[in-house]
Amino acid sequence: MERHRMLKESQIMKIHYITGIAALFVVAVHILMRLIVPFDSSLEYDYIISNYKNIFYVFILESILVLISIHGFNGIRIILLELRQNNAWENMITIMTISATIALIAYGTRTIILANGL
Amino acid sequence: MKELEHDSRNNLEGLKGWLNPSRYGWERISYWFQRITGVFLLIYFIGHVYETSTIVNGQNAWESFLELTQTVWGHLFLIMVIGASTFHSANGIRLIFTHVGIGLGTPGRPDYPYNPSSLNYRQKSGIWIALILSAAAMYYGFTVLFGE
Repeated sequence: MERHRMLKESQIMKIHYITGIAALFVVAVHILMRLIVPFDSSLEYDYIISNYKNIFYVFILESILVLISIHGFNGIRIILLELRQNNAWENMITIMTISATIALIAYGTRTIILANGL
Repeated sequence: MKELEHDSRNNLEGLKGWLNPSRYGWERISYWFQRITGVFLLIYFIGHVYETSTIVNGQNAWESFLELTQTVWGHLFLIMVIGASTFHSANGIRLIFTHVGIGLGTPGRPDYPYNPSSLNYRQKSGIWIALILSAAAMYYGFTVLFGE
């Protein structure tokens, strides 16, 4: 039976590495935003809301959300495919991880949009 | 391209093989850590996305949720996150280098005791560097979270 895939595993692995390295940079900016003021102050409501109103920082947060969701759930997919291989299992894991990725990105994006409007 | 397909390939040991500590030495420990820290960080990330979503319910909801995390155990958990993310990143960079052929050494004739040239001191140093960096990051996190 001929099997059609949207992406080869080698291409998915490149996406995994690229999202991982890109996440390092944006997470570094996210952590720096917590450290440029005293740690306790960085968690105050008004400071967090001001972060969500900063367009540059919103872009960083959305990037973190997308990059880590893709990287994280693809990592889970890789682990689960290492444990067992057959078509039904592989298809199920792929569908579940893509769905979870989309759900997490949607939920996080909702927070960013709503907090930006507060 | 046509591929040979089988319904099931029972040629792997599954979780038993994954957990077997008796083979591959430090590389197997690094393999475990990379996966364990990855799963742990994904669970933390999902929790963090949920935690930060409470801010849309107003200041009271944000502050009451924050109280749950601003405890000694909450800080110790954050230090674990710092250590796990540092190890996962540093070891991940080592794995990317390895995947593109950097640090594997040159292929040689397999002689007794058949130590693979790819599992060399460069790889082991990479694992140790990842462990040392994560310990240093955890120490820094400790000074920030408990230093006040």
